[in-house]
Amino acid sequence: MNQDDIKSVVQEKFLSSERVTAFLSDAKVLYPERVMKDRLLAIVEFGDEKAVFCLFTSCYPPKSFTDLSIEIVLPIDNSFKCEIDNKPTDPEAVLYLNLQSRNSKFKFEIQITPRVDNFVDDLFRGIDAVNKVPTQPEFVWLKKYKGKSEEDIFAHTMVVERSGVAHTQSSAPVAFRESLIKHKMADKEMEYTFCKRFTIFCGTWNVNDKPPVIPLKEWLNVDKEPPDIYAVGFQELDLSKETFLFDQTVREDEWYHAVLNYVDPRAKYVKLEKVRLVGMMLIVLIKAKHVSHVSNVICDTVGTGIMGKMGNKGGVSIRFDIHNTSICFVNSHLAAHVEEYERRNQDFRDICNRTRFAQPNQLPKTIKDHDHIYWLGDLNYRITELDPSTVKRMVSEHNFGPVLEWDQLKQQHKIDNVFSGYLEGPINFKPTYKYDPGTDNWDSSEKNRAPAWCDRIFWKGKEITQLAYRSHPSLNISDHKPVSAVFSSYIKIIDEEKYRKVYEEVIKHLDKMENELIPQVKVDRTEIDFGTVRYLELQVQTITIRNTGKLPVEFEFIKKLDDTSFCKEWLIVEPYKKSICADEVCEIHLKVLINKTSACKMNAGTDKLYDILVLHLYGGKDIFITVNGTYQRSCFGCSIEVLVNLNVPIKEVAVGKLIELENKRDQTVSQQSTYSIPKEIWFLVDHIYLHGLKEPNLFEQPGLHSEILQIRDWLDSGSIDPIPGSIHSVAEALLLLLESTVDPIIPYNLQSVCLRASANYLQCKQIVMELPEFRKNVFLYLCEFLQEALQHSAENGLDAKTLSTLFGSIFLRDNPNNSHEPQTRINKQVVDKKKAQFVYHFLINDHSDLIFSR
Amino acid sequence: MATNRTGAAQRPNGAPQTKVCQFKLVLLGESAVGKSSLVLRFVKGQFHEYQESTIGAAFLTQAIRFDDTTVKFEIWDTAGQERYHSLAPMYYRGAQSAIVVYDITNQDTFGRAKNWVKELQRQASPSIVIALAGNKSDLAAKRMVEFEEAQAYADENGLLFMETSAKTAMNVNDIFLAIANKLPKSEAGAAGAAGGGRRLADGEQPRPSQCCK
Repeated sequence: MNQDDIKSVVQEKFLSSERVTAFLSDAKVLYPERVMKDRLLAIVEFGDEKAVFCLFTSCYPPKSFTDLSIEIVLPIDNSFKCEIDNKPTDPEAVLYLNLQSRNSKFKFEIQITPRVDNFVDDLFRGIDAVNKVPTQPEFVWLKKYKGKSEEDIFAHTMVVERSGVAHTQSSAPVAFRESLIKHKMADKEMEYTFCKRFTIFCGTWNVNDKPPVIPLKEWLNVDKEPPDIYAVGFQELDLSKETFLFDQTVREDEWYHAVLNYVDPRAKYVKLEKVRLVGMMLIVLIKAKHVSHVSNVICDTVGTGIMGKMGNKGGVSIRFDIHNTSICFVNSHLAAHVEEYERRNQDFRDICNRTRFAQPNQLPKTIKDHDHIYWLGDLNYRITELDPSTVKRMVSEHNFGPVLEWDQLKQQHKIDNVFSGYLEGPINFKPTYKYDPGTDNWDSSEKNRAPAWCDRIFWKGKEITQLAYRSHPSLNISDHKPVSAVFSSYIKIIDEEKYRKVYEEVIKHLDKMENELIPQVKVDRTEIDFGTVRYLELQVQTITIRNTGKLPVEFEFIKKLDDTSFCKEWLIVEPYKKSICADEVCEIHLKVLINKTSACKMNAGTDKLYDILVLHLYGGKDIFITVNGTYQRSCFGCSIEVLVNLNVPIKEVAVGKLIELENKRDQTVSQQSTYSIPKEIWFLVDHIYLHGLKEPNLFEQPGLHSEILQIRDWLDSGSIDPIPGSIHSVAEALLLLLESTVDPIIPYNLQSVCLRASANYLQCKQIVMELPEFRKNVFLYLCEFLQEALQHSAENGLDAKTLSTLFGSIFLRDNPNNSHEPQTRINKQVVDKKKAQFVYHFLINDHSDLIFSR
Repeated sequence: MATNRTGAAQRPNGAPQTKVCQFKLVLLGESAVGKSSLVLRFVKGQFHEYQESTIGAAFLTQAIRFDDTTVKFEIWDTAGQERYHSLAPMYYRGAQSAIVVYDITNQDTFGRAKNWVKELQRQASPSIVIALAGNKSDLAAKRMVEFEEAQAYADENGLLFMETSAKTAMNVNDIFLAIANKLPKSEAGAAGAAGGGRRLADGEQPRPSQCCK
């Protein structure tokens, strides 16, 4: 996974308008509370505003945005400060970033990688930009990310990431919970571990290309008790060209077996790991009884030779976890040559920076990420400021102190240029280099260098005591003498019982927290009864949701399984989705409106005024809200075939009877029917005929909604009073009634025939002849009436063109089921013209022949 | 001894184990048999004599430690009233486990429970773990459903069965534990099968594929 991939994962954590401009992985938070690892820093830009985010990565590299949780948000405003400390000599190659925004201060530790420059540049660009503008940015977009405390941060992440709706599930919260448990358990380590002393033997020997021809007992087996762990390092195992170039040698096995043969025979040892790079080899052995408590044994090698790569110099390392303690052993052979101490310091830094213990799905561990570190090897530091004879004399007198004052390593260590934070025990043994092989005599060659303590052992970590630090001069085959150190180190051991207890407490705490954070609301009622609902009469009821929890709640009315919408078509819910802050209230308006579509379904019994809404709280429960009402049946939304059969007002017709009639409407025949046209149409037309033919703007001026509702009630109840309302309201009621019938006057299947025939009166007449009987009656009856109305055009202002356009759209209704075929505007105009043309024939021609043909 | 570069096999004895399996559990049954009370007892250790009727589906979460695994239940406690029946599939669809509850003092609720079991067998996931809970066992004096009758029915249908009491807490934890025990947490073949082989955060244990459906 490359950096771009990681960046795109980080970007997913934010909105697309919020752009991640730079990021750094492998960061640590050092301040204010405790060290937190596995953090990622990102600079995010929204418009002109920038902010620094610190995110926790539960898995490295993050595979999805759910592996990231936002922990710290620092807006870059004019209070923002950034200071960078780094010690160029710091071997760990880290940089400290001190960020301050408003009242929060944080210190981050970041690894020096090439991308740091980019990040820091971007940061300073942001600071510069914000100090140039006179007004301060508001950072409204950050509100959703900000938490006040740790609990809030958890809360935020949990609410946002929890698998939301009942029927979806994601694994994100599981991973999040796991990392939380891990984090909490690490915090409480003290509560469930106890310490036990382990003895650790570290040995180092530059064997100068010699095979193991002598016993190693005097080096490896001289202590009272067998150690628990052996870490044995060699340098210059094999100086042949083949080894240097191809990294193959038989010496590896020879020396390994020599070690195995000469470790303390009083205990049984097994190999944990063995690693070699050219001439450097490190072997870690452990008492067999401890093996089952060891895990994650990983090794790595770093070459620092020519080109910074070749393995003639460098370091080999082995790390593992034993019980609850992590241990790392490093064996290194640093740069040679007397004057080159700077080069040796550099090698040390390179080994620190480049050693990486890769573990699946985790940030690779480095040397410094361990509780205990033991560093041994031929470190090659010399004594240059004293002349060789003085050194030799003082050494022969066992007067090591003054000589060690001039030891390059002691000097460099003192000023923190190398092994910063590490300790070394007092040296009470002779320099280990350089001897004539096979003797205890100083090197007799011409170079005549001062003897030096090239071979050393350092350590770092709490609760480590060095028990011995010595050389072993009797092993004299090489020009170096072997060195060893014995440590007594506290290893943290888990108390199963206590661990279990703490673990359960952590889980309980998380459960409690999670359940408390589950959104809580009070809904004032879950039963909404609209009572009697009438055609075209809007009714509104309100429910109130109060957020009674501690956090903002987002609610949404969700679809039931297999439904396409969350509510029935006659219901409108506003708002259907919203966030409510803690202690705040939201009113939801439920509106019922029965229009012709829903009226037809109600009349036919395929729908009723009943629905259950599912009000879902994100991250929480669902609440069912039942909506109920009684639909007052009306002649609007009935079939013409049904209306002609009703000899009583529709109010007096039993609901069941109406449903039955609607479902059998195709079988209606004239002989059994009461009327030849629906009486409701007749009432309205007759009223206009008697009282309104001369009304100006007839069919053009709209009626009053309230009067139309009165007319609806008059028709439905069969009142003996005169029709209420103005002529215009009656005329509009007539149009609405004709428009609301289940099927249009001209059936949908004949519409295209009519449009094709619209230019030809004879063909149009032919079609009308073939209409279903009652619809033909209504058609002709209305045309006769309209012709009558046109007789009074002087008073009412009607003309045949206007009327035919109006009625054309009513007689030839577009099939709502075909509405998915989008009509272009031009196409619609053409169709509308043809509809008008079709009706026009019947408004200007005498078609009494059709009437009398009955 | 074998080197363990991947960290797949060894773990130090008693080292932190954070494997979490998450399961969706749904409670079904006639209204007033004690579904919400069972959940309340399990999650919060409480009991209310007059528990409000659930109108909707309450959501709670509870983790229990089971061997070396944390089993986390996401509990959906559904409304029992008949009129909400049609909404139940929203909750049992995708659930790995269900507790069908009846009231031992009411024969009708046992009949209703059988219908729920039938519906689950027909409509829910074929691998769903179903437990039958005869609740209100503290009211044994008014018993209308015999233990043996329910046990026989459960055996016939391969259901877990316990008589429980949310009031006295009898068998409440046990029935959830029994479900946790029966749920597939096995690691067999899970590493590759689980959503593209996504590993757990600690990189130690493969996630059982059943957990992340």
